[in-house]
Amino acid sequence: METARWRETINLDDLWEGDMAAVTVDGEVVLLVNLDGTVQAYSNRCPHQASALDEGDLDGETLTCAKHLWEFNAATGCGINPDDAQLTRFGCQVGDNGIIYVDIGR
Amino acid sequence: MSKPRIVVIGGGVASAAAVTELRREGFDGDIALISGEDTVPYERPPLSKDYLLGRSGSVPVKEPDWYEQAQVELLLGVRARTLDVAARTVTLSNGAAIGYDQLLLATGVRPRVLPGMTGDGVRYLRTIRDATKLRDRILAADHVAVLGGGFIGCEVAAAAIQLGKRTTILEALPTLLYRALGQDLGEVVAGIHRDEGVDVRTGQQVTGARPLDRGGVRITTADGAVDADVLVVGVGTAPNQELAVEAGLPTDNGIVVDEHFATPAPGVWAAGDVAAQHLPGYGRRVRVEHHDTAIRHGRAAARNMLGRREPFLDVHWFWSDQFSHTISSAGLADATDPLIIRGSVEQRSFSAFSLEGDRLRAVISLNRPRDVLDARRLIARDHSATAEQLRDESLPLKRLAPSAATT
Repeated sequence: METARWRETINLDDLWEGDMAAVTVDGEVVLLVNLDGTVQAYSNRCPHQASALDEGDLDGETLTCAKHLWEFNAATGCGINPDDAQLTRFGCQVGDNGIIYVDIGR
Repeated sequence: MSKPRIVVIGGGVASAAAVTELRREGFDGDIALISGEDTVPYERPPLSKDYLLGRSGSVPVKEPDWYEQAQVELLLGVRARTLDVAARTVTLSNGAAIGYDQLLLATGVRPRVLPGMTGDGVRYLRTIRDATKLRDRILAADHVAVLGGGFIGCEVAAAAIQLGKRTTILEALPTLLYRALGQDLGEVVAGIHRDEGVDVRTGQQVTGARPLDRGGVRITTADGAVDADVLVVGVGTAPNQELAVEAGLPTDNGIVVDEHFATPAPGVWAAGDVAAQHLPGYGRRVRVEHHDTAIRHGRAAARNMLGRREPFLDVHWFWSDQFSHTISSAGLADATDPLIIRGSVEQRSFSAFSLEGDRLRAVISLNRPRDVLDARRLIARDHSATAEQLRDESLPLKRLAPSAATT
């Protein structure tokens, strides 16, 4: 059975609501998104051409890749434009200590 | 009573976006998509970039299965020949006639063909078939010549030299991308191409091209002749508007539509590269030939076909990838606008803004796509900007919107 491998990243205090940040977990660049206190973790690579998503924009729940303006729902990772794209989501939880833990599944 | 039928003519992303949106919005009548090409709609941007390089295959917008599941009838390899707006009927190249309740003309554009250029070595690029043949030609070539230093020409030249081919661009204007960037910034792009080994020749008056006995093509210019194995011509496009013209619809370098994509004929709409629409905030009618706009047009037109009456206000935007560089732009500049530079032209990382009073009119950017994303949002809403603010990299562009300044 797979065991979750939670890795410490940054503290929730360092990721404001409505903000995003890229962190490196086991060599993988992970995008952390804070929506109203709930944190989601995604691969930082846009599914289109692997551009860094943290160089894009988060406006409300809409995450836009700067390179070719692909848009995603930051709460679900589902594509808005195009609507059949999908961000790679990773396990993410915030500990009692405020630390954001991420499991990239390997 | 039979179900209503919507017919969409054209095989590009505008058509694909329209039929997708019609089904998503719950339209349960008949839908037919007519395309002169023999494949389902696919993404064109890679054709002049990764497809030529062999890094990308065909990228369908929707897999063929989708159309079956969505019950969208595909009439591929078929062209619309005539349109009768009174009888609401389209006749097709296969002899059939198809009636419609609503019709979307998303017929796109075709490359402008130059007279005096003959032979198999003269190639144009629009379709995946064109791109497949062109790729074979380039792979077999020693010397690739490109006529036209616009976006298509620059992208093809970038691909050809990355495939190890001697590559020459012949451009009539003083530099590359002159219409989009002007002299100084166009020279930056010309510098990038020269650094990569492309032979960039500007101010070239090309008078003709003819096949050589040994294969290849001889291009004649006012200064002499250039021999190449293949000549790629990228000198602009012409809208596929004949169907509309013959049906008596108004055209003006494109099929004229209102802000809802409606033509004056009942139930007839147009969208994508072929549609000429008044551009809000710019005081003129334009035909936008960009991928993102075509998708947005198709989607918005579909919603209006379903009675939504939503005016189209999206700011148009495009990109061009050449080598490791990305050029992107939003809005529409006048060639005479003075440009305000943010970033460094020398370091090939800048955005050039044009202002109208204290409003952003347009931005074109080299390797600063984030600026374009921000500027695109600003153009669409209330904002105020000065040249000093735009030059100041310590000031986030987002701050120029009053709503953002208070948060």
